[in-house]
Amino acid sequence: MAQVVFSTWGRNVVDNRNVSGEPQAVSFKLPVAFDGERPLRSFMGWDGIILFDKDVDVPAMTAEYMKRVQTLYCCGKCTPGKKGTKVLADLFQNVLVGKASEADLDTVADLAELLKNCKCTLCQSATVPVFDAVTHYREDFVSYIKGGRTPKPTNYIHKITAPCMDKCPAHIDIPKYVEEIKNYQYGEALATIRENMPMPSVCGRVCPHPCETACRRKNVDDAINIMVLKRTASDYEWQHKLVPPMQPKPAKNKKVAIVGAGPAGLACAYYLALEGYKSTVYEALPEGFGGGMIAVGIPAYRMPRHILQRDVDIIASMGAEIKYDMRVGKDITLAELKQQYDAVFLAPGAHRSKPMGVEGEDKGYKGFLTGGIDFLREAYMGKPTGMGKKVCVVGGGNTAIDCVRVALREGAEESILLYRRSRKEMPADSWEVDGADEEGVKFEFQVLPTRIVVDANEQVIGVECVRMAMGEPDASGRRRPEPVPGSEFIVECDTVIPAIGQDPDLSFIPPDMGIDITKWNTVVTKYLPLKDAAGKDLKDGMGNMLSRSLITDCDGVFAGGDAEIGPLTVVACVGNAHRAALVIQRWLEEGKAYLSEQDIFDDLLTYLGVYDKGENVAWLDSASRANQKEIHGKERASKGNYREVELGFADSTAQTEADRCLRCYRMAMVAV
Amino acid sequence: MAHTESCEIKSATLTIDGKQVTVPAGTTILDAAFELGIKIPTLCWLKKVSTTGACRICVVEVEGVERPMTACNTPVKDGINVTTSSPKLEQIRKKTLELMLVNHPLDCPVCDAAGECDLQDACYGLQVVKNPYGAELERLPIRYDWKLLESDPNRCILCEKCVKVCREIVGREAIEVVNRGDRTIIDTITGEPLDCDFCGNCINTCPTGTLISKPFKFRGRPWTFDVTPSICGFCSSGCQIEYHSRDGRVERVTSSDDSYNKGNLCVNGRFGYAAFNSSGRLTVPLLKDVEGNQKKASWDQALGTVAIKLKEIIAANGGGAVAGIGSPRVTNEESYLFQKFMRGAVGTNNIDSEARLGYFPAQVIQYEMLGYSGGTYAMDAIENASAVIVIGGDLKGESAGFAYRVIQAATKNDAKLVLATARATSMNKFANAFLQYRPGSESWLVAGLNKALLAEGLENKEFIQKSAKGLEALQASLDELSFERIAEITGINEAELREAARLVCSGGRTAVIYGADIMRATDMKSAVTAVVDLALLTGAVGTTGAGIFPLDEKNNTQGMLDMGICPEYLPGYHTYAHKAAAFGAAWKGTIPTAPGKDLFQIIEGIEDGQIKALYVMGSDLLHVMPNRNRTLKALQKLELLVVQDLFLTETARLATVILPAATAAEKAGSFTTVDNRVQCFPCAVAPAGDARTDGDILTKLYSLIAPVTNIVSLSPQALHQEITDLTGLYSDVCDHDGCRMGRVKSKAAFVNHEATLLPLVPAAPVKGDPAYPFDLCVGPILHHNGTLSTWSDNNQIVAEQGYIEVSEGDASKVGVANGANIKISSAIGAVTLKAKVSNALQTGMLFVPSHSRESQINLLMGNVRGVVSVKIEKA
Repeated sequence: MAQVVFSTWGRNVVDNRNVSGEPQAVSFKLPVAFDGERPLRSFMGWDGIILFDKDVDVPAMTAEYMKRVQTLYCCGKCTPGKKGTKVLADLFQNVLVGKASEADLDTVADLAELLKNCKCTLCQSATVPVFDAVTHYREDFVSYIKGGRTPKPTNYIHKITAPCMDKCPAHIDIPKYVEEIKNYQYGEALATIRENMPMPSVCGRVCPHPCETACRRKNVDDAINIMVLKRTASDYEWQHKLVPPMQPKPAKNKKVAIVGAGPAGLACAYYLALEGYKSTVYEALPEGFGGGMIAVGIPAYRMPRHILQRDVDIIASMGAEIKYDMRVGKDITLAELKQQYDAVFLAPGAHRSKPMGVEGEDKGYKGFLTGGIDFLREAYMGKPTGMGKKVCVVGGGNTAIDCVRVALREGAEESILLYRRSRKEMPADSWEVDGADEEGVKFEFQVLPTRIVVDANEQVIGVECVRMAMGEPDASGRRRPEPVPGSEFIVECDTVIPAIGQDPDLSFIPPDMGIDITKWNTVVTKYLPLKDAAGKDLKDGMGNMLSRSLITDCDGVFAGGDAEIGPLTVVACVGNAHRAALVIQRWLEEGKAYLSEQDIFDDLLTYLGVYDKGENVAWLDSASRANQKEIHGKERASKGNYREVELGFADSTAQTEADRCLRCYRMAMVAV
Repeated sequence: MAHTESCEIKSATLTIDGKQVTVPAGTTILDAAFELGIKIPTLCWLKKVSTTGACRICVVEVEGVERPMTACNTPVKDGINVTTSSPKLEQIRKKTLELMLVNHPLDCPVCDAAGECDLQDACYGLQVVKNPYGAELERLPIRYDWKLLESDPNRCILCEKCVKVCREIVGREAIEVVNRGDRTIIDTITGEPLDCDFCGNCINTCPTGTLISKPFKFRGRPWTFDVTPSICGFCSSGCQIEYHSRDGRVERVTSSDDSYNKGNLCVNGRFGYAAFNSSGRLTVPLLKDVEGNQKKASWDQALGTVAIKLKEIIAANGGGAVAGIGSPRVTNEESYLFQKFMRGAVGTNNIDSEARLGYFPAQVIQYEMLGYSGGTYAMDAIENASAVIVIGGDLKGESAGFAYRVIQAATKNDAKLVLATARATSMNKFANAFLQYRPGSESWLVAGLNKALLAEGLENKEFIQKSAKGLEALQASLDELSFERIAEITGINEAELREAARLVCSGGRTAVIYGADIMRATDMKSAVTAVVDLALLTGAVGTTGAGIFPLDEKNNTQGMLDMGICPEYLPGYHTYAHKAAAFGAAWKGTIPTAPGKDLFQIIEGIEDGQIKALYVMGSDLLHVMPNRNRTLKALQKLELLVVQDLFLTETARLATVILPAATAAEKAGSFTTVDNRVQCFPCAVAPAGDARTDGDILTKLYSLIAPVTNIVSLSPQALHQEITDLTGLYSDVCDHDGCRMGRVKSKAAFVNHEATLLPLVPAAPVKGDPAYPFDLCVGPILHHNGTLSTWSDNNQIVAEQGYIEVSEGDASKVGVANGANIKISSAIGAVTLKAKVSNALQTGMLFVPSHSRESQINLLMGNVRGVVSVKIEKA
């Protein structure tokens, strides 16, 4: 078990250098080996230093850290940052070559204090571990100053990050694009976004924006409105009829097949195209419905179709051929794709509704619909949905909310949502629930449907429900909702739509291809054997292995998106597919599918956590968060009215909002 | 993270250094302190651009907030308690400056900015006398390879003012912060030499000697120059400037951020002064001898000759045998004197100017429809417009000051911008819609916009009901035009027109700007009428609108017309019938009461022998008139051609007498912008050589030939009084001692008028001769202004001359590469110019800048406005 030799992480000093007896036990959310193989010797970053290996040369590491900050990341846009880190970097270089004096070390404290006035946090946070090093390893610095010591060659790896950027599954360089908007550089901002997000208009509108939950401005007042700023940059381009500036590299002679034109498939196609790899995307839906779940799962009042189509068209124009009406497994087999292409990327999404486990659901009753996702798709495609006038939707996620709101727009006289827990426990985004509320949706919380009630013609006339109450805490201490005996009642309706979740449909993957599928019906991909100090596997928030290269057990076949992660979000699929594109490129060029050090570092930082909600951020809370305007009133959900509800920012509002950003860059560096 | 709109708090009351102040919400601490007269030191702060927060000098303490906050970019909060000065803050400021000085070159003795360096001042002010910090010295290369500018990044303090001015004011984005760490510098993004507007606004804003003007480098220490406030004599924006002069030469031009134009100039304003110092300046009068050679002469000889010859001609043929061409370059006072001389002394109303080619007839139409000419508001109103439409003009080419205002509106105030121009311009990147109509289809295009606006039901009903008549007739005339027909002629379809109409009306506060392509359009009357109709339908000219603005390339076209340089009107647009007697009485004589000949009629008059003498003041007729050969023949036929100019122009080369005149820097007076601002300025330097101001020349001549010599010693004040009394155009108050906004031009308030919407019947397009399939357009470009700037070495360095812009498709069709020669022929002539292959043009369209004296593009132009049908071939 790895032992922490010394740490100041979290501003908490743990010093096991010279302890007799039991060393102080401490562990961090870090693997014992950087990539599962090379031991993690030290970690240096915004919050201090952590040494796992007593032989790490602290002065050399410190000098290297400051040099990288100054020469690679310091933006030069404020005096203390630009000049202060230069003075520090040169000072430490002088230490290493014996040209410094002990008095110079005192300048470190002086500058650490002065750099608190930096414009952003990169240079400022960089002084934290540096100051710690000089303070706690002063004798090592002094021995360099006195001469006679030379640094041993050490392998350092660094990574620039920010809390928001880390939390974003696509790792968009959020502070950069926010600053560009602040500087009226909408084109540049969009280019920054597109480096990691090829569907900016989509994620500027419907992203659940996990980044905002990790915004350091929250520690002052409210998070920056990161999502709407993304929309601003994206809308600016089409509102000014500007031609996207991306230029793909010259075409290379290898090609890739992609299953599914959803966010994952399109993102993978886009990043491959930029590198010169043409891909063919096989999409089961007909032309005009590119975008996968975005197209048929997210209603047009949230994501106007012409704007989605614009993003799809841009991706196609980069060099992705989308073949519509082509269901892999039916119109062409996976084996054929594998044979015809140099690599195959599976991104079929999760379009199959889950059953809800209620009496009568399998009887084929009139008015009982297959599932929320099917309802949304058919409504959007203009097909008969089978919906009546009084609609009950069962579920608590965003799809359920989309269903009740679409039901109104499809002409339902009454639209009711049944959910077994309370409002605040709904997994749906709170603003979506508020939106449904405003449009006149009725809610029945803490109810469990038990039986579908039908008339003699097997037409649904209601749902029998039972009230739920919180039961006694179980072994894990969590209280689960339990039915209240005798509380049965019937909600009258002519339509029931279960919307309790989706599964990938992986029936197109033949069992003989060697592609493993999990019990949650997702595709298994290869991963690094990252383990914590206790020997346990590191896993991500979805319970998947933390660091996956996205290649399946079948050579040349990769998988991503909802079908690999499990049903999640557009941004997660895009981030995952972007990585897949990078790995596929390595596979095509080097014959090896592997993760780069930067990929791994991304995963490590996410696991460690870059945002600290307990951090005291000293700042004047005088600029409050701007929110986009929206159309209000029930009329916005009137029959056939799919007009966009949220209206985005005026550019001037975006500029002011962007100015709230604290630009929380920071650099991490490890020795391996 | 609520997804509902924020509620707005309107104001905040806070305490700064113990004093309370209430300011609007969103105000920065710096501005709030300023309200209290508390000055917080800054280096990177610049009022006219967005905040930067780079220098960190402006730190203040806010009670309850652990870290010092930068005052320049921190908005106030109600109830906060701010301290702007404390030992801790002073210490931070001092140390920050010390850091700034790490590796800063100690070349102050030879630095151009010494004496006006903010860094010097800040160090001096905060007594930064030592530097405890040090780092490895690494010198970055100085950019000597830029034109007009030089950049020494070693002196840069990364305040970003230059970058922001370039991006936010000028809209160019030519320079950017590049590289990392201590090597961070301001440079072009590509590292290539600077290629930009060359407005030099970055130089003006640079607090150190990083960005400097090459022409000014080593011309002298800043404090040794005489600084004279003045008004720029190039375009019609009328920017307020300062001439820095020494030994009778203007050596640089600057502008203060406190000026109306916020210190922003264009290449002409900043660098065009080199024309004043041109070796081509006329410095002595010239007289044509019997052999036809123009020889140096004394003023007495020259003026005596003019007087004698004029008197002879008048005696033999009457005043009507004399005509005068006025100048959009000279002051109002000089224009007034010119027409007074022509009308009062010579006895002729044959007075006109190059404004006849577009601006003047357009303003007559505007006057007839609206009740006034020129811009209806001062141009800063544009910044607060919610929508701006620019029709038929390259905004930066014609009047950069207007372009800057539009950029502010579009980028900072959320205005929607519609550009309706035949060629793409540098404004395109800000546009929400670009209607690239076919050259020559202006009247149809604007009629189409009116039609689309009415079809969308977007007309400002309240305004029209109250203030404009004629809607039914307009609607009826538009009903006669189909969108299909409009699309066929203009290339702009119904959907595009409707979208543009919606944008033009968005927000309800519209500004309508129209340029030379409208005023010089083939069907100019319909085109201008349609523009004014549009301004009425949108309510742009109403009290809640943002105005209508005609553009003109030259500095005093509007003032010249106000002063009666036209055959139809006396100064102040008074008719002869009403005011000839009054003017005559004031001038102690009689003046002719019949309207005189206009520009075209004057040429015809010369041709048929009626006009024998022509007095041309500050106008190169051979260059500005269409049909160069015809003009040349006419001028050659004259018995007397007097040319009063700065340079030996092509026209001057034909003159019997050449009178050397003075530049805008060499005289006092006033200019009137197209938006009707009358700005006075004092004299900065004496006229070059023996040159005299136009006013002096005219005064002298008047005394030589007038029947009553009453104006010999007319003082500026008396002259001003006379103009004010007779024209009724100005308010009385004017402080001639350096005032720049002295006189207010009175325009009857619009509420007293009823405007007229006129029906639109655009002329059917003329079927082009298939032998000449290309549409040639001629107009101004950014790096020049008229021909004046072509005498400026500075402008010549950055702007190539005498080229023809041709679209990529046409260039490859004709088989010419960029830089190759093209022969352009029309029915009446041919010229050969260098090709500039461009993606700003639609196929079938050609463009030639109007500035080059060598191009002689008017050899191709018949006696018509608008586009010229030409063919092109490889030369």
